Amino acid sequence: MDESSLPWIILLAPLVSVAVIVFLTQGSRTISAGVSILAVLVSFVASCLVFHAPDPAGVNQITWLDFPALHVPIGVTIDQLSKTMLIVVTGIGALIHIYSAGYMKGDDGESRYFAGLSLFMFSMLGIVLANNFVMMFIFWELVGVSSYVLIGHWFFRDAPPAAANKAFITNRIGDFGFMLGILMLWLATKSVVFTEIEKSLGVSKFENLNLTAATLLIFCGTIGKSAQFPLHVWLPDAMEGPTPVSALIHAATMVAAGVYMLARVFFLVQASPDAQWVIAFIGTITSLMAASMAIQQNDIKRILAYSTLSQLGYMVMAIGMLSKEAAMFHLFTHAFFKALLFLGAGAVIYGMHHEQDIWKMGGLGKKMPLTCATFAVGTLALIGCPGFSGHFSKEMILAAALSGSKWTFAAALATAFLTSFYMVRLFVVVFLGEPKTDAAKHGHDAPPVMALPLVILAIPSFLAGYGFFISHFVPLHGTEAPGFVSLFAFLAFASGAVMAVLLYRGKKEDPIHIGLLANKYYFDEIYAALIRWTQELLARQCGRFDRWVLDGLVRLLSGGTYAAGFALRSFQVGNLQAYAFLFGAGIVAFLWYVVSK
Amino acid sequence: MMPAIYLEAIVLTLGVLLVLMEAFSNSEEKTPVAWLGIVGLTFVFILTFFTANDLSASPYSAFYHADFRAIFFKRFALLTTIVVLVLSIEYRGVVQKYVFGSRPQAGLGEFYALPVFTCAGLMWMASAVDFIMIFVSLELVTISFYILVAYMRRNAGSLEAGVKYLILSALSTGFFVYGITWIYGVTGQTSLEKIGAILLGLKVSHGPLLFGFMLVLTGLGFKIACAPFQIWVPDVYQGAPTPVTAFLSVGSKAAGFIVLMRVAEVFLPVPWINHKAVTILVALAALSLLYGNLAAMPQHNLKRLMAYSSIAHAGYILIAVACIGSRYANIAVSFYLAGYLLMTLLTFLVMAAVANQAGGDDIVHFNGLGKRSPYLAFAMLAAMASLAGIPLTVGFFGKFLIFYVAYEKGQFLLMGIGVLTVAAGFYYYFKVVRAMYWKEPADDTPVRTSPLTGATIAALAFCIFFLGVYPAPVIRALEGPPSDNPRLLAR
Repeated sequence: MDESSLPWIILLAPLVSVAVIVFLTQGSRTISAGVSILAVLVSFVASCLVFHAPDPAGVNQITWLDFPALHVPIGVTIDQLSKTMLIVVTGIGALIHIYSAGYMKGDDGESRYFAGLSLFMFSMLGIVLANNFVMMFIFWELVGVSSYVLIGHWFFRDAPPAAANKAFITNRIGDFGFMLGILMLWLATKSVVFTEIEKSLGVSKFENLNLTAATLLIFCGTIGKSAQFPLHVWLPDAMEGPTPVSALIHAATMVAAGVYMLARVFFLVQASPDAQWVIAFIGTITSLMAASMAIQQNDIKRILAYSTLSQLGYMVMAIGMLSKEAAMFHLFTHAFFKALLFLGAGAVIYGMHHEQDIWKMGGLGKKMPLTCATFAVGTLALIGCPGFSGHFSKEMILAAALSGSKWTFAAALATAFLTSFYMVRLFVVVFLGEPKTDAAKHGHDAPPVMALPLVILAIPSFLAGYGFFISHFVPLHGTEAPGFVSLFAFLAFASGAVMAVLLYRGKKEDPIHIGLLANKYYFDEIYAALIRWTQELLARQCGRFDRWVLDGLVRLLSGGTYAAGFALRSFQVGNLQAYAFLFGAGIVAFLWYVVSK
Repeated sequence: MMPAIYLEAIVLTLGVLLVLMEAFSNSEEKTPVAWLGIVGLTFVFILTFFTANDLSASPYSAFYHADFRAIFFKRFALLTTIVVLVLSIEYRGVVQKYVFGSRPQAGLGEFYALPVFTCAGLMWMASAVDFIMIFVSLELVTISFYILVAYMRRNAGSLEAGVKYLILSALSTGFFVYGITWIYGVTGQTSLEKIGAILLGLKVSHGPLLFGFMLVLTGLGFKIACAPFQIWVPDVYQGAPTPVTAFLSVGSKAAGFIVLMRVAEVFLPVPWINHKAVTILVALAALSLLYGNLAAMPQHNLKRLMAYSSIAHAGYILIAVACIGSRYANIAVSFYLAGYLLMTLLTFLVMAAVANQAGGDDIVHFNGLGKRSPYLAFAMLAAMASLAGIPLTVGFFGKFLIFYVAYEKGQFLLMGIGVLTVAAGFYYYFKVVRAMYWKEPADDTPVRTSPLTGATIAALAFCIFFLGVYPAPVIRALEGPPSDNPRLLAR
């Protein structure tokens, strides 16, 4: 087989799976699950083969649209960045597919669920492989659609459809900016292909292109997809979806797509210093704010969701500090340990009969030893315990923050402290102490099909910071963090952990109450009010205008059109002589025009 | 590689074979005739891919060109005829009812065989570059249509349609031939190529030539069903058997357009013709757009609605014809027609299947189809969306190319009218969609289709979406080999 066809196999295998499930195997849940798992395994194996092959020299693409001034190929980019991302997406994807087969067992919509999961894999791999903006935008939107489908999987309940809508609409706000940014770049450079844009930006300065504005508009895509402030509100709600979905889409892969996209168009960020500043600022705000909100949440999945927000903020900040390597390194390690944490949370929820409130758990360490152990690995990695993968990547992030100013460094340190605090709080309340409810007393470990992915994920969560992984997946070019960064990082980790243990050990309920944080800084309320007083007010006025002015005009117009249509129809008298006459009259009119001067 | 003219010879032989088979077979079952026709035409369709499109070698190249565009339209004619035969099998119950016969299926054999002759005519027309050749093939097409339109001889509607079509078509043919004689009288030639050479030599306006050209234009205007020569369309479309209506609206129109393109490419480059001819073409396009789209709005019968829609689509294609000289005009016309083939035939297939069961082809008969037969309804949705020109369907790229060409040539008036009438199109196409998905069905029984019809519907719907997402293969086929195409050479 030709090597250049491998990326296409990676991309298309999940799409085939979607088609097969939708058209053929909807009736059988087991076969649907099998087809979906098989497809993702095919993608994974092909990704490994691509990973081992040397970078291809030529351009691997087919022409999709070819008009003057608009030339859009469908092509793949294979480089270190996309290779690493392929492994992360298909590898974690495969594990989560397998886990899902256990988690979703017995669900009526299992076929639909796996079709959605395959659709997501297709879209996500499309983003990873895209070599141009249009293709990336299409898959970007497809990811939004599949995320919508999966969040709203239990559409018969109240919360999931609302959360799905919120996620989709919030993302669309960001995507609108993304699209405008793409259009700006296309208008100026006449190209949508990344490499061509990079080349022409390097060669000439474009008078008609405000590079900062274009970069920031493209960054809007990241704000939406990676749930950055101020569009972060959708991610916690997205936890209404099935837990494997939260692990795959809303922790490990899709939300990282925003960071990946910034890394892909890093040349834009490099070229506009003003945009760098904004990106770093947004990232810092998000990471600190989300971490502070996490310490007052009681839903196990929501805590993890805010933690995801906060870690994504780290990565975005690193991009803004021009440390692409730190961002990608953290993306890489985070994908493993956050997927592990979510799957662990899923196992807890599964064992607790769908109870998600951490204050109704407790003492699960004895009932679920395997879940507890793997969860512990994930937690230690996330809070940056020395020796675990998260420690190494977080240190790089902190070093990147230091390169900005002392304030960003302080904010990043504070975030690290808070992370340590809320994760240890979570762990202590859920796994240690006494069981707080009957459900917690009868908790049990998950079946092997769910336990296996936990164990497998625990390995890279622990090791991903060491030599083998770094040299293969995220080559770092001699960026050594200064010694005192490690010291500060350790202090933040240790003080947060110790404080949490002291505060929460043996507690039956939360000893501290901070309304502002528990209510997520009232963002949802502010947005609701904002929408009521702007959009809805405007909509009401528009409605009035529409009803009384436009509707009248339209009615006049359509009535006129309709009447004209009716009148025209009256030519159609059905009388042959009349037809022949009209035909002749038409010819005479034309000839008269032609022959007259 | 075989010479292209063999294709027509094979199709014609196939037609004769079908007639003989129907005459000498003792079997009462006539459907095998149609099956043989479908298989034979599919075979010829495959052969088109192994045909030399070499212009110089053949001894008949003075009147017969087999360039890539001709081959494209030959495939077009073959595909149309194949689908029409499928449609005829689906429709045979109705034809049977209105045809006298000693035996139940008497008369059906010819109904299956005649389209094959029409197909041969269409294929010749695609290659014709001489007025005599054009006329002969045009008449081969038209005469078989006379029979087909009036085929259901116990049905007053079909007979009336037949008579109207016969007389008006004869009238237009008369004008067409008259125009040819004027042109011949001035130039002494019937070959388009030689006429073109003489025309370029004439520097000042020449009244008689212009007169002849305009008469030819009116004759072709009748074939493509554009206003003001559209008056026959609604009555004939409604009265004719549904397969024939489909054939008329796709095959006859496409043949008219390829001849129009060939003639226009010779006449339009001449400066003193260009000015007036473009004005005429713009007027034809504008009238067709307005007439077709506006008059379609109050229709309740889907067949009649499709008649007006066919006029409207002729208007869109005429926009591109008026822009001859733009690099994309040719491609726009051909691509639009290819898309038009898919969506129109799909509409008629679904319509025939529904009408078989519901007993009529008014829009109300489609009520609740989404619940009765979701797949049929979805196919119809694809066809309607494509006719309206919604993205992700082939109809969108058709209109995109048309408007692009108009933009390039600065035809902003036509662009404006085109965009406005597209909006009107949404209204009446989505009347059907609304009936299918938002109205309650009269009865819940699913609409049954034969496997062949079902497969054809699925294939057409798939093509609509496929070309709506990835139009490059057809556009590339239309651009032809690089040697014919200055744009590709320029790269």
